[in-house]
Amino acid sequence: MTVTPVLSAQSIRRAYPLAGRSVEAVRGLSLDVMAGEWVAVVGPSGCGKSTLLNLLGAIDRPTAGRIVIAGRDVSALGDAEATRFRLTGVGFVFQRFYLMPTLTAAENVELPMAEARMPRAARSARARELLAYVGLDGRAEHRPFQLSGGEQQRVAIARALANRPALLLADEPTGELDARTGAEMIALLDRLNHDGTTIVTVTHDEELAQAARRVVHMRDGVIVDDVVRRPLEATA
Amino acid sequence: MPPAPRPLLAGLLAGVLLLPTFRPASVSAQVSTPAAPRTIAIDERLAAAAGLAVGDTVRLAATAGSPGDLVRIAAITRRGADPSEVARNEFKVRLHLDHLQSLTGSGDRVGRFAVRSRGAPSGDAAAPDRVAAAINQSAFGFRAYPASAVAVETSSTFRVVNRFHRAIGVITIVASAIFLLCITLLKVDERRRDVGALRLIGCARATVLRAIVLEATLVALIGSILGAALGWAASAIVNWYYQGVYQTPLRFTLVTPGIVGFAVALSLVLGVVSGILAGRRLVRTAPLELVGR
Repeated sequence: MTVTPVLSAQSIRRAYPLAGRSVEAVRGLSLDVMAGEWVAVVGPSGCGKSTLLNLLGAIDRPTAGRIVIAGRDVSALGDAEATRFRLTGVGFVFQRFYLMPTLTAAENVELPMAEARMPRAARSARARELLAYVGLDGRAEHRPFQLSGGEQQRVAIARALANRPALLLADEPTGELDARTGAEMIALLDRLNHDGTTIVTVTHDEELAQAARRVVHMRDGVIVDDVVRRPLEATA
Repeated sequence: MPPAPRPLLAGLLAGVLLLPTFRPASVSAQVSTPAAPRTIAIDERLAAAAGLAVGDTVRLAATAGSPGDLVRIAAITRRGADPSEVARNEFKVRLHLDHLQSLTGSGDRVGRFAVRSRGAPSGDAAAPDRVAAAINQSAFGFRAYPASAVAVETSSTFRVVNRFHRAIGVITIVASAIFLLCITLLKVDERRRDVGALRLIGCARATVLRAIVLEATLVALIGSILGAALGWAASAIVNWYYQGVYQTPLRFTLVTPGIVGFAVALSLVLGVVSGILAGRRLVRTAPLELVGR
């Protein structure tokens, strides 16, 4: 039986013009991620990790190569299609949370669902369900400034899951958190993965990388090491 | 016992039946006559300045030093809202025509009187002109003007002032529009990280632009309503103060429904335009650039 990957990146490149010449941040990188995997991309600063994540999430477009996510080629999407794909195809968790400061936690979670035209009652119920899942059922009406960093990141995770994406992309999700809150975040991501969410994280956090099933090491825009720490079958 | 007569000085005399006819230099108190005093009306500015009230008895003379008459104040009149009289530091006394003539010794001489035509078909705008022309054909030593011509002549100064005010208003509006546009651009630009985050999580450009324009419109609407309320309050204070200073019912500033409507409409247009300009600038920027990466 052939297993189709949720994410398949083939020979992708991303070059930026810099001081009159072209600098490649990602150089012919290929990566397949299966459904249910949790991949941590690690490497030194400037190795192309965040560029890779932006390409996978249709925030940026590769200058060469092809990226297919959930059967859809996202490497050649126009702006409107890429925006729509970010809304429904992938979920993003950012290092700095990027919550809307004027909205409550529940409203922040509802935001992508409202944009996807989900009926009000359905999205409200889904937001409550997601906030309960991330352990914030009592904080739904709080605004971001009333929440701790860890709580804000939980809201951001709930928001990322709102439209049931095929893939969760997280860019340094523990980068702004202290050690204890970071450990709680890792536990939450682990639970998400155990419940079936496919996750790709970019991180400098060694503990987060150790918690992932698979660790991909990058250097100078290419993958130099790819270690499966916990195969899917082992924890199924 | 009736109160003692008090001296009275007036700068302007007016007949009750005709328009102002005679302007003596002064009216001064003199010895009273045994006859029952005639009645006069004074304006409230004179009443306030001289401390007079209805029922007071005063002496009224055409010139200082002349005997004059003992008169009783029968009424205190309120001045009309005439801009041309505001700055004049004059008092007005109204008395019966025959009394005025005898007091001044001027017989039936008048300087100006009004003729009201009747019987002209309604809507016949040329009737006053025809009447004035007919009078002027047989006039000797005077000339008749239609009321509209008099109004145009007396209001020409105020038309110039009005145009001057309108020019100041236009300059203020243009400056305010530029200021509002700059403020909106700055305030929207402060939200670039939020806009970037919205774009990153998949909100369409149109959604973000709509939200920015809606917010700018609401701010403009609320601001214009508050501004109109503030303007109305300021206008009330200005009117209260200067009506007291000049003892006149004239309204120095006006906040009419038309002005409020214009202000709100203009504010809304400016809000929508500045929201569109500021929003378009942001949504055209790459989301990663907006969030500073």
